[in-house]
Amino acid sequence: MTEPIGAAHLLNDGDLHTVDSLGPVEVLVGVCALNQARSAVRVVEAAAAGLAAPLADRKCGIVVVEAGFRDETVDAVTRWVASRVPGPPVCCVRIAGPPSRSRAIIGALTVAHRLGPAVCALVDAGLVSLTPEGLGRLVQPILAGEADCVSPAYTHTAAEGTLTTNLLAPMCRALYGRRIQQLLGGCAALSGQVVTRLLETEARDSDLTGHGLEIRLAIDAITSGNRIVEVHQGRKALDAGLAPPDLATTIAHTVGPFFHLMDRYRAAWSESGASTSVPRIGDPPTILPETGEVHLDRMVRAFKLGLKDLLPVWEQALQEETLASLYPLGLLFPDEFIFPAEHWARVAFDFAVAYHEQRLPRDHLLRALTPLYLGRVAAFLRETQAGTSARFPAVLEGVGRAFEVEKAGLAARWR
Amino acid sequence: MRDPWSDVLVTSFREVMDRLSHAAPRLLAVLTLIAVGWAVAAVARRLVVRICRVLNADARSARWGLTAGLARSGIQQPPSLLVGRLTFWTILFVTLLMAIEALEMPATSGLVAVVVRFLPNLVIAGLVWMVGWLLANFMAQAVLIAAVNAQVALAPLIAGAVRWLVLVFAGAAALTQLGIAREMVLLTFGIAFAGTVLALALAFGLGGKDLAREILESRIRKRDGDDDHLTHV
Repeated sequence: MTEPIGAAHLLNDGDLHTVDSLGPVEVLVGVCALNQARSAVRVVEAAAAGLAAPLADRKCGIVVVEAGFRDETVDAVTRWVASRVPGPPVCCVRIAGPPSRSRAIIGALTVAHRLGPAVCALVDAGLVSLTPEGLGRLVQPILAGEADCVSPAYTHTAAEGTLTTNLLAPMCRALYGRRIQQLLGGCAALSGQVVTRLLETEARDSDLTGHGLEIRLAIDAITSGNRIVEVHQGRKALDAGLAPPDLATTIAHTVGPFFHLMDRYRAAWSESGASTSVPRIGDPPTILPETGEVHLDRMVRAFKLGLKDLLPVWEQALQEETLASLYPLGLLFPDEFIFPAEHWARVAFDFAVAYHEQRLPRDHLLRALTPLYLGRVAAFLRETQAGTSARFPAVLEGVGRAFEVEKAGLAARWR
Repeated sequence: MRDPWSDVLVTSFREVMDRLSHAAPRLLAVLTLIAVGWAVAAVARRLVVRICRVLNADARSARWGLTAGLARSGIQQPPSLLVGRLTFWTILFVTLLMAIEALEMPATSGLVAVVVRFLPNLVIAGLVWMVGWLLANFMAQAVLIAAVNAQVALAPLIAGAVRWLVLVFAGAAALTQLGIAREMVLLTFGIAFAGTVLALALAFGLGGKDLAREILESRIRKRDGDDDHLTHV
């Protein structure tokens, strides 16, 4: 067992003193920010209200960890703290080094390890949909001893979280055997023991970039045999901060770390069997009918353009039969476009193998997935629009099963 | 007393034999050098190929885009074999230089010195060209993917232009290093580069209005797309 990463490695003396001033706490909320001054105050306010009322008999604290390059978040929260009514103590710290969401989470975990709470809730500073009740639901299962890790589940439409519903969640289900709704839910709660173990197993110079650590938290909770539960958090609204990344960058920052972690957790996924659902506490999340307009023709056009121009790149990533299965899709009109889940699952696993074998510069490889993903989303939305929202779970189940089928033989290809 | 005809015959025979006896050891040395050089080169080739395979050089080359670049140039062999061949011919070339020097012929005297003097420039020029070629492939691929993701219709054309621009730049740098018509290369490169930029600017401004509109529209559309109730994560 290695020595855990300590707060002293990431924080300066002044920030360490500020953290220590919170004293030992039972419940710690770590608000992880990356240049998110616009939304951080709102999130801290909701967290403070959530800790004040139902957890008034427990010692609680909030730490805002800014891993970006601007001071606005810390300034805004400090101003709010000065003007608010008394409540749980709030402190702000900054993590030096390159801006990274994973570093913000590592920072919050190290602070939690230093203060030794029974529960550490991690909240994205952009999660403006967080409510005081939602925070309470997040921490209660651990305080009650019913879980070691709590993950959010959201009510959403088919067009929300399509990267999660079509790639991250079904691939997680196929590889690690748990049907978790969110890998990047924007919030989670961990027990003190889980925090310590995570820090012990994460290298000080962690190679996890983008959303890597959030994904790792979920995968680690699944594979380590921790008791994991999902709690309903309503609808998710996330303010991405200063410069929301484009789609290709979002894919690189989410799918990249997921593929990267497949190397680290190879033993776990090569041994896992049939998938099981994650227990839910409270009301189940619902599927809402689509209200906004989604331009499927643009997505189909993006797919066709990729098929025409990115073929030399895809040839290096995809197997011949996978590529052959894509050619007929290029002839379909937007109103008849299909991209079967089986083909999509094959594409995803081919890309994972290509990423593992480093057949291309990894950033190029991940960005080259964008047109394929848009094609799949177009087909997925057509499929879900064809029926009522009641059909949605069946479609999702089909995607999950397709990934489970395609997983067979992956270990043999993973050299 | 012998007749003059016999004298001439004997003398010329003796002279030829005398010269041959002087040249024979050199010829023998040349043949030995070539044979030994060939053998050493063959062994070195095998050794280098094995080392490359142990170091997983082919997979690494694929990762760096070298294999794809070679394939685009019509070279289908794995880089480890190419490095092996390069080693073989380099050793053989050095051996041949030694053999030529061993002949001590007036026509080849100083050849080795000239070649050796030129060799560092040749190596540096080769390296410059190789780095330029790798960079050209890398940048072309990055531009191609970015342009396709931005839904630009002429993405391969733009990527090709980027590749050739970097290749021309690398070629000019390599030729300058070799000192081959340096002024001419610089002048030609300057004129070609400025001309290309001007031509592209004119073509884009006059002939490529539609393309410009398409690029701008795709960017604006992308903004619209962010508002069309589609969230990915």
